[in-house]
Amino acid sequence: MANYFNTLPLRAQLAELGKCRFMHLDEFSDGVEALRGKKMVVIGCGAQGLNQGLNLRDSGLDVSYALRDEAIAQQRQSWKNATENGFTVGTYEELLTTADVVLNLTPDKQHTNVVETIMPMMKHGACLSYSHGFNIVEEGMQIRDDITVIMVAPKCPGSEVRAEYVRGFGVPTLIAVHEDNDPNGEGLALAKAYAVGTGGHKAGVLMSSFIAEVKSDLMGEQTILCGMLQTGSLLCFDKMVDEGIDPAYASKLIQYGWETTTEALKYGGVTNMMDRLSNPAKIRAFELSEELKDILRDLYNKHQDDIMTGAFSSGMMADWVDDDAKLLGWRADTAETAFEKTAAGDMEIAEQEYFDNGILVVAMVKAGVELAFETMTAAGIIAESAYYESLHETPLIANTIARKKLYEMNATISDTAEYGCYLYTHACVPLLADFMTSITSDVIGKGLDVTDNGVDNARLIEVNEAIRSHPVEAIGSVLRGHMANMKRIV
Amino acid sequence: MIRLDALSVDFDERFQLLDIDWTIRPGEHWLITGANGSGKSALAAVLAGDGDVLSGSIEGVPERVALVSYERQAELIAAERRKDDADILDVISEGTPVAEIIEGGCEDLDLARSLIDTLGLRPLMSRAFRKLSTGETRKVMLIRALTSRPDLLVLDEPFDGLDHDSLVWLQGHLRKLAETTPMVIVLNRFDECPDFVTHVAFVDDGRLPLCVERADEQAYAELYQFLHLKTSDLEIPAADPAAQLPALDPDAPLVQLTGATVRYTDNTVFEGLDWTIEPNQSWQLSGPNGSGKTCLLQLITGDHPQCYVNGINVFGYQRGTGESIWEIKQFIGYVSTALQWEYTVSTGLRNVIISGFHDSIGLYTKSTDTEKAIADEWLALLGMSDRADEPFNRLSFGDQRLVLIARAMVKHPPLLILDEPCLGLDDMNRQLVLALVERICLGSETSVLYVNHREQDRVTGIDNHLTLRDNIVA
Repeated sequence: MANYFNTLPLRAQLAELGKCRFMHLDEFSDGVEALRGKKMVVIGCGAQGLNQGLNLRDSGLDVSYALRDEAIAQQRQSWKNATENGFTVGTYEELLTTADVVLNLTPDKQHTNVVETIMPMMKHGACLSYSHGFNIVEEGMQIRDDITVIMVAPKCPGSEVRAEYVRGFGVPTLIAVHEDNDPNGEGLALAKAYAVGTGGHKAGVLMSSFIAEVKSDLMGEQTILCGMLQTGSLLCFDKMVDEGIDPAYASKLIQYGWETTTEALKYGGVTNMMDRLSNPAKIRAFELSEELKDILRDLYNKHQDDIMTGAFSSGMMADWVDDDAKLLGWRADTAETAFEKTAAGDMEIAEQEYFDNGILVVAMVKAGVELAFETMTAAGIIAESAYYESLHETPLIANTIARKKLYEMNATISDTAEYGCYLYTHACVPLLADFMTSITSDVIGKGLDVTDNGVDNARLIEVNEAIRSHPVEAIGSVLRGHMANMKRIV
Repeated sequence: MIRLDALSVDFDERFQLLDIDWTIRPGEHWLITGANGSGKSALAAVLAGDGDVLSGSIEGVPERVALVSYERQAELIAAERRKDDADILDVISEGTPVAEIIEGGCEDLDLARSLIDTLGLRPLMSRAFRKLSTGETRKVMLIRALTSRPDLLVLDEPFDGLDHDSLVWLQGHLRKLAETTPMVIVLNRFDECPDFVTHVAFVDDGRLPLCVERADEQAYAELYQFLHLKTSDLEIPAADPAAQLPALDPDAPLVQLTGATVRYTDNTVFEGLDWTIEPNQSWQLSGPNGSGKTCLLQLITGDHPQCYVNGINVFGYQRGTGESIWEIKQFIGYVSTALQWEYTVSTGLRNVIISGFHDSIGLYTKSTDTEKAIADEWLALLGMSDRADEPFNRLSFGDQRLVLIARAMVKHPPLLILDEPCLGLDDMNRQLVLALVERICLGSETSVLYVNHREQDRVTGIDNHLTLRDNIVA
């Protein structure tokens, strides 16, 4: 199988990368009708598989789970998950031959094997759905011509997909139709009904393409979302301990600092996050972020280049063949880091204190978001996609660190994201070694040591202007405006 | 120090105070409050020597106690009438003039004169006392009490029937008097409580279950709310006429479980359970922890995934036949501790109540003016009108519970499920929740399904009981 993206001419590559449109709520007025009465069979009963299935069933749809014979015979966890939740469970042979829609929600690395196994069993004219386009785009999987291929990708961990649905809401969702496999022209209707079934339409749906989803998703998760947060956690914690700050405090400031600072990002972009700082702290954070961007720009470009050429995916697939040797080794190393092993103290840290004492945390978020956005858009990814895969998702990942540090983040994200996260961290930590020697506790751990908050007017105007005029802020304010119309009134 | 010790007092066999323990220390000023008919006035009158002691003791009451109350007012007027009737002379008696009534027992003529002017009684001084209006009589009574230099001043509803100017004056005067004279004041309306009051006694059904020190702000606020719920005459707000639920078959059961079973790989929570809830039928469900009470409720609400593999018919829907969970939830109001844990949003109280219209946690749609108005009526009922925009997650645990009950009831669902609504609450908040639930049971056509394991939390008006124990239905 060849990398599908690389088989396309440049013109088509750019056209596919440029697909991303925020859909209007009234485009979903048909609800789940396109799927009503159809037999939906889920393959893979992990977090996405189980939780999407629960939502779809609660929306009135017919959902069952196909498991491998061994999983059923040995009553493995996937069998327990499906059975205890009252779903019909059967073998591939029992369920797939009559399925109208097959939801492939297995991990990326199983896709080729799973799809090759199930394709011959699927009935003529059925639909195959993915939640991630890696298999189609990076591995070049060819799907039988009569089968409709769609993607419905909730932009949140499976547990959130369920939790938001139960609350009466949903999570932002990306949908796409694989143009090469839409024989009856029904792909979009099915994808929309599926998004309604999971509650995604209430939170906002982006109409994208398989290619745009894969190339932007990989870039975002490797760099700002997981890589930058992991790198920043390790560096900031070690620096604070070197500076003599109580490790329990340092651990807490980092564990919850990402979540608290990016909450401000979620509501009002980089501008609002920076506005939470005092004026002198804002100027300092701005300068640090400019320095970081200069140091890291080449690294971001390299990640994007490797994603575009397929070098990243072929490297990771080689590790799949090697039984995930690298991934598992890196995962074990992360568990042994000082940050991971130091429990957060039980001291009170006020919300504002996370900003005041976490100037470097804010600077790292700003630098990472802006660089990822700049790199993606320079590579032909449309601003909407780049926004969602950088700024928008950062608070979601930050929440996972708040729950149980890096372990939780890496356990929640896909293996693909985790692999990319470690790649980034291993390159980024040494790159920032010199930079970190110049850092003292005034920007991480203690807050600026100033007697008053006076600043130079001209400099402040300059800094504010630079923050506000960044392109991620322009598209962000438009998209947050759309979202606010649909989103919870808080 | 005045001390009532296990005191029971009978009032003409019409009313009894029972087992009262109460201590009034020097320097304290008390407010007695409670619902109508609870015994507030009786407790106040005991201090003035009224009633027949049945048991227990009362000690330390000073010699000179001045009591102003409707009862005393009525007695005085009745006495005036008797004088009239007893008059054997064939002359028309005018009765005792106001001036004479005031002067009898007066210890401070200067004060009396100034009070007469201040309260506008000067033109009435020669008129017969019994010909005064109720408000005027009340003023005379007040002047008598205030000028008698009492060692203890007991005022039962002193602000009732006073015009605005007199009211303001009296409040100011009492404030000054409080510096020298201990006071016990009876008020039905808690929000009129004067600033100098240091303690509040709450009377309920002839007993004194609760004394709160005003400096304890939290206890004071809870008492305020409780009394508001007990004493306000607000109705349960109506449903939103624009959001009518689909009509239910009035003869069909709301809920019918047939052979309900919840089973996990390694244990069975319960099995073979049959249960029918008819319209307008309220149930109490009890059983020890782990007996499956919450599981059973979740089968009804659709929150338990095994609801799809059980014989469940709810609100006319056979579960697992293509209905959506929102079609089920629209008929149910639901409150539980778990819901409270999940309801972690910083949304304001008004929006939390409105979210009950949409069965959502948090509010995701623009609300209508009607929805807002109904939510505000609920807040008024809860005594939280001024807190509509306060973030929900900053409320006390008990207040959150009250707001969630209002949220559950806002759409007047055919079925209200209260899963251990008093769990984790202290006595005061428990009383608050029960007071609200009782009002709901009285004031609506909702079937209540009340779940608890505490015997003392029984709600009046619930006659059907289901007990889960060791997987056995009793």
